[in-house]
Amino acid sequence: MPVGVIVTVATLTTGCGGGPDTTVARDTLIFAAPADATILDPHNTTDTESDQVIGMVFEGLIGFDDTMKIVGRLAETWEVGDDGVTWTFHLRSGITFHDGTPFNAEAVRLNFARVLDPDQKHKRLPLFVMLDRVEVADEHTVRIITKYPFGAFEPTMAHISSTIVSPAVAEQYGTDFGKSAPAVSGTGPYRVTSWKKDQEIILERVENHWRLTPPMRRLIYRPIPEGAARVLALETGDVDVISRVPPPELTRLEALETIDVLRTVSIGAQQFRFNLTKKPLDDPRVRKAISYAIDRRAIVEQLVTGFGTPSTSALTPIMRGYANLGEIPYDVEKARALLREAGLPNGFKTKITTTPRYPMGVELAEVIAAQLKEVNIAAEIQVLDWGTMVQFWQGLPPEKNPQEIFIMGAGASTADADWGLRPIFQTAPTNENNYGYYSNAEFDRVIEAAMRETNEAKRLDLYKRAQEIVYLDDPGAIWLFDNFYIVAARRGVEGVSPSPLGVVTFERAVIH
Amino acid sequence: MAAAIGRTIPVLFGISVLVFLIVHAIPGDPAVIAAGLEASPETVEQIRRDLGLDRPLPEQFVTFVSRAVQGELGSSIRTGAPVAQEIADRLPFTLRLALWSILLATLIGVVAGSVSAVWHNRVVDHAVMSVTLVAVSTPSYWLGLMLMLAFALWLGWLPAIGAGTPAHYVLPVMTLGLQSAGHVARMTRAAMLDVLGEEYLRAARAKGVSAVNVVVRHALRNALVPVTAIIGLRFGGLLAGTVLVESVFAIPGVGRMMVDAVAARDFPMLQGGVLVVATLYVAVNTVTDAVTPMLDPRLRA
Repeated sequence: MPVGVIVTVATLTTGCGGGPDTTVARDTLIFAAPADATILDPHNTTDTESDQVIGMVFEGLIGFDDTMKIVGRLAETWEVGDDGVTWTFHLRSGITFHDGTPFNAEAVRLNFARVLDPDQKHKRLPLFVMLDRVEVADEHTVRIITKYPFGAFEPTMAHISSTIVSPAVAEQYGTDFGKSAPAVSGTGPYRVTSWKKDQEIILERVENHWRLTPPMRRLIYRPIPEGAARVLALETGDVDVISRVPPPELTRLEALETIDVLRTVSIGAQQFRFNLTKKPLDDPRVRKAISYAIDRRAIVEQLVTGFGTPSTSALTPIMRGYANLGEIPYDVEKARALLREAGLPNGFKTKITTTPRYPMGVELAEVIAAQLKEVNIAAEIQVLDWGTMVQFWQGLPPEKNPQEIFIMGAGASTADADWGLRPIFQTAPTNENNYGYYSNAEFDRVIEAAMRETNEAKRLDLYKRAQEIVYLDDPGAIWLFDNFYIVAARRGVEGVSPSPLGVVTFERAVIH
Repeated sequence: MAAAIGRTIPVLFGISVLVFLIVHAIPGDPAVIAAGLEASPETVEQIRRDLGLDRPLPEQFVTFVSRAVQGELGSSIRTGAPVAQEIADRLPFTLRLALWSILLATLIGVVAGSVSAVWHNRVVDHAVMSVTLVAVSTPSYWLGLMLMLAFALWLGWLPAIGAGTPAHYVLPVMTLGLQSAGHVARMTRAAMLDVLGEEYLRAARAKGVSAVNVVVRHALRNALVPVTAIIGLRFGGLLAGTVLVESVFAIPGVGRMMVDAVAARDFPMLQGGVLVVATLYVAVNTVTDAVTPMLDPRLRA
């Protein structure tokens, strides 16, 4: 009976893993992330950890699927009027929030009134400055009117901040909405039943959900801050899925029989930005020289193995509006020639500021400094913690900002060229979002035109030009690599999909 | 006892001044961090005003102290939750961890230290001293991961992370306790050696008291005074150690809360956390000071 022997061996192997009994079908999945959620209010939070849970509990009128395609959610269909500013959404009927409040056009109106109310000080207000007003046409039809034709309207509506909260629960809890389990209510396939801070968030599925009833009855979100401990907890079977695998552990995990590593291209890219007000970085030739002096292939293949691919533009390929402009080649001769042309044949001194908050943030700065040395650029490295770093990125005038070349993880959460380029590189008096004081007149003109352009083909042409300027002609950053978003799961966990937005979709997950 | 409690008041006031100053000396702006990278400067300014961070420092300090004495520690900048509540939710985890650890440390430390002293300069003494040296100098972060690797992954006996059941505490308590056990063992050994050389013990031995009785009833009892003091002092080290151990083992305690608070420059959370931990430390040492005279009649004056 050779077959019988094989089965026995397989059973034994599973038994030795130290994990829970795999012969019983499990209805609870445990997911470990680096931090607890802060506030489960889509209008008032900006961190990925909160977004992870918000994405399971709340739904928008429209949303992104896992390939970043825009699909209907609470709205069945939608269209824009000839004026380019009036968007009409036809809502699904018969949907209720977790607390029993019916979902309808009035709920949508109240939600946008909530985000736009300056007194409520919601953190996501800047995303909605283009909104003019929201009108209820009838019980299941709502009209959203923008102040001007806005090319990125749909991605903004599909964004997690546009998801709809129960107006009744929002009214009841006021500023405490989203801060405890009872104060969270949306229409999503999971609802929050318990939240013990720093310990666990328990999500139970909604039976007979209008869109899909998830196979897993319960999902536990467990924060484990230490990367190494998170990986160990996955190996022991304490948890089933983890996010943010530390780079040094990745190769080892991939070799394990009991673990599956899942990757997706993402909206995230790792860069080092230039402060254009610091000499000689104001000279585009100097910035180009720096860019040619960096060996991206070596970084991607040896330092952050398996974590990304060399960038090919100022946006990542998954984003709407992306144009493939090719990798910047590693060309030391060209870098030296550009420096001579700029009148710096003997190089110059500069400073690279970095933070370990980004995976391998310090190591990346060290490698770049070493490579710049080849072209006589002496870069001193300054390592700061996150809290110290971000104070240089918020509305400082140039004379108060000592940073010269600084690390930056880019990732426009609308997955669209507008949010990925406009706030970051459009000329501004302070660096509230344009952290490097980038300023290019042609770029400004093109990006402004693109924002108001609702014709998709024309829009794409304009964004291509904008990317050529900021990526090639007058570079705003050392474009390094596009990040993969990586999660690891125990073998037997299926239907878990990492989304390019840096969250995991669990609604179709099963455990065998 | 009343006098001892009275003495702690200026200490606690001093602590609150220090905590306040240190927290505000850390570079970084909590309003900026709270607002998030995509926020507008107006939002940041608004948050700064709401948090009272635009007021002069002395004024902020007076507000902080006058509220703190009423048990009002403000609200977290990051999550908006009341600080007192957040600490109350987490304190049981930290206390459980610290108390079991100090118990383990005392048990192992006193036994190992006594054994070492009795067999002074013999193989067992050298062995104990080497092991305790390693224990004292091993970083708890590393030790925690190694214990996790051995007992959770390879042997599969214990859960790796979390705080749900008593079994979850075994590895973190070992991590914290072993380190302190090293300190206690070394102090016990030194104190015992002092006592063992004393005249009265030679007298006791001469009149035929058994070796075990000499060590346990006479030597150890006298050595306990400095050992109790070191245990009280180690409690501070343990509370500091919980910061790392809670992060490694994902225990939702006060230490981990403070790590997050530092990263977010969550001033109210940080001030509240440090204040509570410092008060605990002062309380434990006030109790040890009160207990010591009961162990040694000579100090009862």
